[in-house]
Amino acid sequence: MIGRALLLLWIAAWIVAAFVWAPLVPVLGETTRVLYFHIPAAWVTVLALGWSMIHSLLYLKRRNLEHDHQAAAAAEIGLMFCVVATVSGALWAKAMWGAYWNWDPRETSIFFLLLIYAAYLALRSAIDQPERRARLAAVYSAIAFVSVPFLIFVVPRIYFSLHPDPIINPRGKVDMDPRIRVVFFALLLGFTGLYFWVQSLRVRVARVEHRMEERRGSGNVG
Amino acid sequence: MSGNLVVMAVALLVWGLLFWYLIRLERRVADLEKR
Repeated sequence: MIGRALLLLWIAAWIVAAFVWAPLVPVLGETTRVLYFHIPAAWVTVLALGWSMIHSLLYLKRRNLEHDHQAAAAAEIGLMFCVVATVSGALWAKAMWGAYWNWDPRETSIFFLLLIYAAYLALRSAIDQPERRARLAAVYSAIAFVSVPFLIFVVPRIYFSLHPDPIINPRGKVDMDPRIRVVFFALLLGFTGLYFWVQSLRVRVARVEHRMEERRGSGNVG
Repeated sequence: MSGNLVVMAVALLVWGLLFWYLIRLERRVADLEKR
């Protein structure tokens, strides 16, 4: 419980710091603050989808449903954070570019990523038998993750994009005001903590669901 | 009150509500695990 309370205070404190302590980037103006939520959400997306891929491979190796629970939970949460990154990015685009959606390379890439992982969840929901579902979903997730670095890191760098430089810019440096950097990395850490909390909760729910499925299957419900 | 403070208050409210929801969910899951 102490860990939860610390997370609550940590994120709340850095939200306040983002608004009252960190300066604005001159070009971005008030929209600077979007980066404190948009980039951590995008980071958690990559982290979660990577977690899903690792546990998918582990499932294929060990055939332990615990890995399937981890992989499915991570893909769901990754997709959720991907939606947060997309929506916050669209709001930022409206303020800076004048339109919510411009089919910029980054927007197009994230759109494909959303489709790929929405299809993963559709695949899972279409199969009732747990082992079969786990096996097919694991193969899909392992292959789908190949597209993540390609869509997030490669495509936006190949084509011209209006999107600002990534945090680690092409010159290999983090060009940020020190106060912006502190708030940004603090919220990145906070979002990572939030991800692992939600991940553990979702896995626990999946275990309970699996136990109930087994009871239903053996006719011991009630 | 400036627009900035309103946005900050909304962000804090959203975070507080999400946290409260997750704590409630965690308690509910713990109950289900005991059954």
